[in-house]
Amino acid sequence: MKMNRKLNWMLLAAMTMAFVQCKDSGDDVEPDDENELITSVTLKFTEQGTSSVSTFSYKDADGDGGNAPTKFDTISLKPNTTYTLAIELLDESKSPVDDITKEVEEESDEHLFVYTPSPAALLTYTYGDKDKNNYPIGLTGSAKTGAAGNGTLKVQLRHQPGAKNGTPTPGSDDVNLDFQLKVK
Amino acid sequence: MILFLQRCNKKNVTRCMPALRFSLLILWLSLFSPTAVAQKPACECFVKGVVKDRHTGQPIVGATVLIVGQSTGVFTDQNGRYELRNLCPGNYTLECRIIGYSPFQQKIDLTAGHEENFNLLEQEVHLKDVEITAHRTDAPSSQPLTTLSGADLDKTRGQTLGESLKGVTGVTTLQTGSSIAKPVIHGLHSNRVLIMNNGIRQEGQQWGSEHAPEIDPFIATRISVVKGAAGVRYGSDAIGGVILVEPEELPIDKPITGELNAVGFSNGRQGVLSGTVQGGLNFVKGFGWRAQGTIKRGGNIRTPNYYLDNTGISENNFSLAAGYRHKGLGIDVFYSRFDTQIGIFSGSHIGSVTDLLNVIKNGEPFVKSGFSYAINRPNQNATHELLKAETHYHFNDGNRLQWTIARQYNNRNEFDLHRPRNDSIAALNHPELTFKLTSLTNDVVWDHKPIAGKISGQVGVSTLYQYNLMSGRPLIPNFNQFNIGLFWIERYVTSKWELEAGLRYDYRTLKTYRIVNREKIADHFDFSNFSGTAGATRNFSERFSARVNVGTAWRAPNVSELFSDGVHHGAAAYEKGDATLQPEKALNSIASVKYATPKWSVEVGGYYNYIFDFIYLKPQPEPILTIRGAFPYFKYTQTDASFKGIDVSGSWEFVKRTTISSKLTYLRVYDERNDGYLVMIPPNRLDNALKYQLADRGKWKDGFISIGNLLVAEQKRVPANSDFLPPPKAYSLWSLQAGASLKVSEKQQLEIGINVQNLFNTVYRDYLNHFRYYADDMGRNASLRLKWKFGA
Repeated sequence: MKMNRKLNWMLLAAMTMAFVQCKDSGDDVEPDDENELITSVTLKFTEQGTSSVSTFSYKDADGDGGNAPTKFDTISLKPNTTYTLAIELLDESKSPVDDITKEVEEESDEHLFVYTPSPAALLTYTYGDKDKNNYPIGLTGSAKTGAAGNGTLKVQLRHQPGAKNGTPTPGSDDVNLDFQLKVK
Repeated sequence: MILFLQRCNKKNVTRCMPALRFSLLILWLSLFSPTAVAQKPACECFVKGVVKDRHTGQPIVGATVLIVGQSTGVFTDQNGRYELRNLCPGNYTLECRIIGYSPFQQKIDLTAGHEENFNLLEQEVHLKDVEITAHRTDAPSSQPLTTLSGADLDKTRGQTLGESLKGVTGVTTLQTGSSIAKPVIHGLHSNRVLIMNNGIRQEGQQWGSEHAPEIDPFIATRISVVKGAAGVRYGSDAIGGVILVEPEELPIDKPITGELNAVGFSNGRQGVLSGTVQGGLNFVKGFGWRAQGTIKRGGNIRTPNYYLDNTGISENNFSLAAGYRHKGLGIDVFYSRFDTQIGIFSGSHIGSVTDLLNVIKNGEPFVKSGFSYAINRPNQNATHELLKAETHYHFNDGNRLQWTIARQYNNRNEFDLHRPRNDSIAALNHPELTFKLTSLTNDVVWDHKPIAGKISGQVGVSTLYQYNLMSGRPLIPNFNQFNIGLFWIERYVTSKWELEAGLRYDYRTLKTYRIVNREKIADHFDFSNFSGTAGATRNFSERFSARVNVGTAWRAPNVSELFSDGVHHGAAAYEKGDATLQPEKALNSIASVKYATPKWSVEVGGYYNYIFDFIYLKPQPEPILTIRGAFPYFKYTQTDASFKGIDVSGSWEFVKRTTISSKLTYLRVYDERNDGYLVMIPPNRLDNALKYQLADRGKWKDGFISIGNLLVAEQKRVPANSDFLPPPKAYSLWSLQAGASLKVSEKQQLEIGINVQNLFNTVYRDYLNHFRYYADDMGRNASLRLKWKFGA
């Protein structure tokens, strides 16, 4: 009988333990705001000697995954023309919208934009800015189109902390987009 | 106490199964008293029987059985058997005793022959200076169990838990570089392998292939692997198997002893220091305690041709334990803290597929470095705390009740290579991923008293409550999970047969919370399932035994499989979960035969594991477009998969002191629903070793030299076009080991071991190492191991 009482006591304590252990994780859902995303890339082509601006964008407002990109423009340029090319990066998942271009500018010695047309004759890019180590950045530059034709323009932002040497090789991609390019 | 009285002319000798865990080396000692017998030729009566532990049913070796008042006595042999011969008819009092158990007396009236079996009750308070060899493991007896302990475990000291188990047949590792290793049993890993750390189900973020178990192997004096589905006793998820990490029994009322381990590795210039002190208390009877701590520091690992940047490791662990025994009552309290910081090879952080293809094309990493102990981004810091209280009570009638509660807190912080671009945020140096997982477990197990001395069993209830708090880059949601499991296992043991069967029911409820488009979304899942096991062991003779087991197990999909949604940087792949996934169910059959003589032994095992609704990442035909470019797209999908394999191990002492041993691990996995192969299945391997045992010389003992070779085949059974790089070629690695122990004094012993892995600095890559895309595997690694035991 004494054993039974002991047994009952232990079982009771054990059952109590099973139910008083609860805490809810739903009250502590933290929104993600530590990291910036890049959700929008806009290329601004300004025809030299004029004020006519053409802008082409890629937009994926909710970042990677989730909904598909909402906008992926085809770049359309005149042949044999020189343009000033500026690039704008935004994080539109935040409110207010976060201007990543500014942050890239602040850390320009860790970033390099790379513009690669394919076929190569379609466009020639020349960097128009330099970081404190005299390496190019690519936030502004000039683009000279060749003869008419169709192809792609690969736009890359290379993140190269501590390794930037003026070539695209070190680091990894923050942006890697293949815009359709039409020169006509 | 259960007795079997049989007529003496009956010839059916109750022989117990050759207990595998007792080695053949234990001496058969007989203490016949020839003088008492010789003059009386008419005295031809005998008494014989088996002595067993009342709770475990295991035979007790070396127990004394004597006739009170006479100088006649014998010891039980390795199977717990004894026989007293040439007795005269008459009345006797038979006594059976061994230190650590309550002595037992039985009166017998001898007319011819008599069989008397003893079932001894373990004493809770052990006498001083006595080693109890009987060890209780709840593992199913009809499933293959491999245990690393003693000298075998010592050889692995300094390595991670996953690495330590590499030598076990059927076990391989899933690696992320050289510092992160997860055990793979019969091709299954992560959530499908359960780790019982000191009796508690280890709960971390096991789903991650680069999340190694947060356990300090120095805590354990025994590490066992149960191969095959063992879900009935240990709970759901144990589809692949169970790893039992078990510390030594607490030294109740013993003098203070301890050991100090120091291990140095040439590769990574790694040093490991671990110490243990333990003992009883002079002024409190029935008390025992232990304190243990480990420090590990390592730098950049070197492949045969270059260093791997940022592959250092740092670990600080400690544990404290105390226990009290009084009559049938036992209470144990245990606390452990594991704290590690691991650098992740910086060349493995990939921003896009182009980056990955460039590294692969280059053949070696772009990032080169020299040696350094510094750990920079990317890195992961993990802390795991376990607080456990266990109490048990042996009732006088043979019942036993055990109640265990535990709290685990797993805090994992992962730092990406890229800091935020905003300087003020970057200056905070926050981890990009933080997981805080708290788990509370509660287990009550009742071992019922043996029925008719042959049927033993246990009934139990286990609960788990768990909540996960997550911050940073969204990866897995916050969740609350409650699990309750009820199980019942019975075991029937005779001299030739051992049968067991068990049944379990589990219910799990999971609530997840995540932010989608700035709104909190809650999801609710319920899972429940029955699982069962049935097995038999047949002992044909002392040398020859066979076992077979059929079991089912299940595993509910975990949160990462349900909700993953993002780029996996290490694999340059986009992984997406599926909230409609159903639990996996496994039907596992496993059989093995073993034949052992003192000169040679062979064990052959085969298994067939069919997993219904096996969850895996299926490559999608179209890549997914992200700002970082197009990524190969993988979705968690379900299929039916079969795992067929053979494990063979054997050893042969072909010349005196010279032993050759071999282990073969063979596995074939097939996707039954899609008629294809599955990715990330360990290739077949053959491990051979030649060992020469040195003769003891003076104070030097147990010296040996051994040379080993590991052959790993190329994994050719992979789905077509599923990978950036085909599986690596087959490779062959040589290793060299030597060791000996030196008895410094009566109470001090020094053990020395030398080990060289990858003796010829072979360049190789392993299919199950995530770094195989970026860099070669570890080059030559020589280590020196010292162990100083004192007070023993």
